[in-house]
Amino acid sequence: MTEQIELFVNDEEHFITVDTSEMLVDVLRDRLGLKGAKIGCDRGVCGACTVLVNGDPTASCSTFAWRVDGARIVTIEGLAGEEGALDPVQQAFFEAGALQCGYCTPGMILLAKSLLARNPHPDRAEITDWMGANICRCTGYKMIIDAVEIAAATGEGQ
Amino acid sequence: MTDMPDLRVAGVQAPRKDAREKVTGAARYTVDVDLPGMLHAKLLRSPVAHARLTRIDARAARDLPGVHAVLTRDDLGGLQPTYGYFIKDQPIVAMDKLRYVGDPIAAVAAQDEVTAVRALELITFEYEELDPVPDVASALRVGAVELFEDAPMGIVPAYGRGASAELRPRPNVCYRFAYETGEDDAFDHCDHVFEDDFVFGRQQHFHLEPFVTVAREENGQIEIWTSSQNPFPLRKELSRVFQHPENRIRVHVPYVGAGYGAKNNCKTEPIAILLARLSGRPVRFCMTNEENFLTQTQHAAKIRIKTGVMADGTFVARAGEILLDSGAYADASPLVAEKAGYRLHSLYKWRHVKTVCDCVMTNTSPAGPFRGFGGTQASWASESQIDMIARRLNIDPYDLRLKNLLALGDPYVPGESGMDSDIGEGLRLVADRIGYHGRIRTPGRGMGLSIGFKDSGGVNKPASARIKISTTGAIYLQCGSIEIGQGITTALSAITAEILNAPAERVHYPDVDTDHTPFDQGTNASSGIVVMGQAVARAANEVKARVLEFAAGQLDCDVSELTLDDWNIRRGNESHPLNLMIMRTYGGTGFEFTGEGYHKAEMDHEAPLETRCVAWEYGWGAAEVEVDEQTGLIKVLQLVVSGDAGRAINPAVCRGQDEGSAVMGLGGALFETMLYDGVTLANGNALTYRVPLATDLPENFVSILQEQGHGPGPFGSKGVGEGCMLPVASAIANAVEDAIGVRVTEMPLTPERVLAAIDARNST
Repeated sequence: MTEQIELFVNDEEHFITVDTSEMLVDVLRDRLGLKGAKIGCDRGVCGACTVLVNGDPTASCSTFAWRVDGARIVTIEGLAGEEGALDPVQQAFFEAGALQCGYCTPGMILLAKSLLARNPHPDRAEITDWMGANICRCTGYKMIIDAVEIAAATGEGQ
Repeated sequence: MTDMPDLRVAGVQAPRKDAREKVTGAARYTVDVDLPGMLHAKLLRSPVAHARLTRIDARAARDLPGVHAVLTRDDLGGLQPTYGYFIKDQPIVAMDKLRYVGDPIAAVAAQDEVTAVRALELITFEYEELDPVPDVASALRVGAVELFEDAPMGIVPAYGRGASAELRPRPNVCYRFAYETGEDDAFDHCDHVFEDDFVFGRQQHFHLEPFVTVAREENGQIEIWTSSQNPFPLRKELSRVFQHPENRIRVHVPYVGAGYGAKNNCKTEPIAILLARLSGRPVRFCMTNEENFLTQTQHAAKIRIKTGVMADGTFVARAGEILLDSGAYADASPLVAEKAGYRLHSLYKWRHVKTVCDCVMTNTSPAGPFRGFGGTQASWASESQIDMIARRLNIDPYDLRLKNLLALGDPYVPGESGMDSDIGEGLRLVADRIGYHGRIRTPGRGMGLSIGFKDSGGVNKPASARIKISTTGAIYLQCGSIEIGQGITTALSAITAEILNAPAERVHYPDVDTDHTPFDQGTNASSGIVVMGQAVARAANEVKARVLEFAAGQLDCDVSELTLDDWNIRRGNESHPLNLMIMRTYGGTGFEFTGEGYHKAEMDHEAPLETRCVAWEYGWGAAEVEVDEQTGLIKVLQLVVSGDAGRAINPAVCRGQDEGSAVMGLGGALFETMLYDGVTLANGNALTYRVPLATDLPENFVSILQEQGHGPGPFGSKGVGEGCMLPVASAIANAVEDAIGVRVTEMPLTPERVLAAIDARNST
């Protein structure tokens, strides 16, 4: 069974015919060529596939594409500004070196974006709690938490 | 600390080379490779742990529309269809037997994964079940069913002084490593001999990028893109398996979404290649996270240590037996056994050491390389027992360690290289930072210390590198170290830029491609800086010498008058742009200068493992815990770890390695382990296998990066990345005993085990 849906991905409008069994991550990666969202556990646990759906961090591996018909979706490719200027959260991860293999990084950055949109000045405990939603097997998290603190301090989300 | 040279590019804080691509989502991994006409592969896996495969019929699967190839044991003709490291016992798909739940039976390549899964359901097979061998104890029971009735093809490498090994020393043991030095009557002269048993759990690597390969075969050339840590040994093994010339197998490695040891040697590659050959189309074989659990794990272990000491705490002799649970296939078990056995006695002065390590086959997922590589098992047992002995002798564990530690420069064992860190200094740092000395006793709280170590740089490991510089000064650093997250492209580019007096941005590190990249034995054993780093430094010095010689010829002067300044030649006050000098000589089409570098530790038969250890990697740990005696729950209040980078080429990258490995160690210490219900894995997925989250970090989690300056790598550097995993579990267990007076000897330190230890204490 198929369905016609409309997605606003990184401010671009797409009309796509999807199979009702198709996952959002596959539409993004295979139909739209947005490879930044990664499949890790494929069970909505690890968060490597995190994208923002109407501002909410969402496991795109476990979200049917038809469920987000009409939604505004932000992927990692949608963050950098003109001429490749990094978004403040990207910049903070870049400066803090808050990444290793990089597989979780797009999801972590989008998760942090969603925190700062809700709470522009989280304390360290709030950051830790929020970032505890996604798995990073490489960094030990501390430098990721540092990066979110830097992003908050530079006024992201205001 | 030794005097360190002033550095301009290396040793200073700089962004990672891969940071921009990784924060923008532009970084490309094997999972992102998409070839025209590419098929998708899925695997049929064994539902039983131990059986003889009597019949398999895949005709219905082949007939399903959308299916392009089906692979069973009937399709292995003309191949050497088994692979492994020292022992070649693992078939591409099951041939005569099924040896664990999840053992590959058949594979399908279809137009999409859904069709491939449907096709698998159409494959029928029959088997005769055999008694399963779920664990080490049942494998070693007299009369136990053997996983391999006939000895698989295998070799024992040459060993040096005191070390030896044996294939199949007893049923269900594929390899035995032994090490001995000194006289074993040393135990007779001890005031006390303590014998203790330890159990080590079984972590899964949990790399987020699964095992994945894209393969094609065109015009007799096999070409793969794969998530691998060791493309060159992989190429050699594929050449043997497929009976295909190495120079007709091309391996590309894009960014790797981590490995922690898992991505060495054959994983998804043979099946992807064979399906590509059978279908005539490119094939993508990407496992699921659940399949990772069925493909590679850490070694569970049982360890017994006997330690002889004098009443004043002087160490005399240590003997140990390690039983590694190797799972169903030998994989890297013999190499892990070498390292576990060789490290068990740890960094203390002994008159006698004797260790035996057996690799025991069981009907469980194959165990292989895992960060720490045998050192984790050894450190857990060794450093736990040091504290137990200290308490028995009524000596502070800190003082007992300091009294017996090897000093800087002392050989590890006769014939081995010397200690290249002041080990006591590292212990002092972590103890001071946690507030170990003069602490005020609080009920339920305690502190523990530990020193983990491993050798860094691999055994007898060669590496080669090539540096090219174009007319315009664009630098190509070609070497086979894989960027798996550890920051090796950043570090090696910084070393190159430092030597060539260029900005790091001018160095390009092309993707590894075995057709063009110089040979490397693999990205493992914390060898990137101490082995490849030395090859890169030589290549940089060589290309620099060529550039200077060329310029001296052009300027008709002696090389000693010239220096390289970015892409200009300086001679006194004059500056000569090199691009102009090159075009004057070679014309407007330009030229490239090339330098080659090679490094390998020399063979040395006096060294137990045939080469002296390149560098020693230490991990110092200190933990403070609070234990709830009602629930058995351990809360880690403080965790302080420290590694010694010798000279940190990029301090933030080193810090990330130390913190990441410490948190992986924390998971293994407290809750991470693969749970088997008999022979069935009970928690083989991301929902039920718990890895540490940000919320699991101790309130006070600190890593201290030491730069003691004694490393053999460029500018005094040495490897990091594994060390800080090693001390965590034993530091926590030692802290638990300090807190509530009970000793837990089995990992992970779950509430159940803590409560059982409390009950045992209360009942005596």
